Amino acid sequence: MTEAPVVAAPGPVRAPVRRGSRVLAVVLVATIAVGAYLWLTTVRWQRSSAEWEEKAHGYAEEVASLRMQLDGASSELEAARDQLSTATARIRDLANEKAQLGDENVASQQYLDYQTQVSAAAATVASALGQCVSGQEQLVGYLKEADQYEAADLRRYEQQVGSLCADAEQANDALQRELRP
Amino acid sequence: MRLTARSFAGRSLVAGALVLTGSLGGCGVLPPLPEPVPSDIVPSAPAGLSPGAGGGALSPDGFDAVERMAVRIRNVGCEELSTGSGFAVDEHTLITNKHVVAESEELEVSTYDGHDITVGTTSTADLADLAVVRTTDPLPSFPELAKADPKPGDPVTVVGYPAGGELTVTQGEVMSTTRDPLNANLGEVLLTDAPVEPGSSGSAALDAKGRVIGVVYAKTADDDSLLVPLSTLQDMLADNTAFTPAKGC
Repeated sequence: MTEAPVVAAPGPVRAPVRRGSRVLAVVLVATIAVGAYLWLTTVRWQRSSAEWEEKAHGYAEEVASLRMQLDGASSELEAARDQLSTATARIRDLANEKAQLGDENVASQQYLDYQTQVSAAAATVASALGQCVSGQEQLVGYLKEADQYEAADLRRYEQQVGSLCADAEQANDALQRELRP
Repeated sequence: MRLTARSFAGRSLVAGALVLTGSLGGCGVLPPLPEPVPSDIVPSAPAGLSPGAGGGALSPDGFDAVERMAVRIRNVGCEELSTGSGFAVDEHTLITNKHVVAESEELEVSTYDGHDITVGTTSTADLADLAVVRTTDPLPSFPELAKADPKPGDPVTVVGYPAGGELTVTQGEVMSTTRDPLNANLGEVLLTDAPVEPGSSGSAALDAKGRVIGVVYAKTADDDSLLVPLSTLQDMLADNTAFTPAKGC
């Protein structure tokens, strides 16, 4: 009896199969992990996007509201500027009118003072001319009855009347020159 | 020994998966998780824009600063009336021409908006056609004096009351310096082409920055204007003996 030789199965022959399985398993686990991560990321980004969109809508409404307020404020500012411009022009006009009226008032006052002085001078001249006329009338009366007076007294009185009339005529000439335009 | 090998293989799988996932994420292949949405967003302010931008040109009542410092002077003489211009150099001091306040019984000063200003004392210079009027009422505004006399070609703005009329602002430029044809001023005076009229005498002449560079005192036959230069004004103001009390009529 011859015993058949026992041949042991070679161990290392199965190693490539196991290694391949492990690699596949690692890839599978990694894929699952990456997929899970991507799913989580997607969900989070969707949520974030929705929140941002909601916020964007809110800000857009706020911008629209502010824009309307700005348009209103701009219109009011433009109107206020126009009113200010009108008001300053009116103030300028009123200041000028006041100044012109002040000038006219002062000029009128000066003219009134001048007229008062002229009137007073005219009254003085008229009085002097009246005295001259009275003196001459008196002199004529004296001359009609010359034999009753001393000749020297008549001459002296005549000289006095003549001097008075000369002064009156001189004052009258001055007044006429002043009144001449 | 088999159980140990399996355990080792499982650990290797997890470790490999983690390494792979970590390396993918670390290299930026995988997107990061989003940051939490902030509750409020504060925008950064745009450069060059602020709530106060452009406010420097505003005045309390809409009038320019150059208009607010100008005054109209009415010289009530003993026999006649004349008008001129002037400008404030501080809260109670006006500068004008000597011939504007000459032979005066009373000076009446009014501002751009028609307010009357009570006059205190008046003094005039002997060596220039300049006068200083002190007021008891405060003046609404006064400009700065420039640092130096202007040069030919420099812009000039004249603010005053030509012909005793409305407050008027005219523009021109400095043409040259010249001897005073009226012999009213010591030294040289400035010749400009800014339009002036009788009544503009005493007006402030300003540079592009609104600073005083001279005082209008005359007009030439060629419709140019003559200014007492800033340097003369400053010399006179610095000299305590330059101004003496004005003689009335």
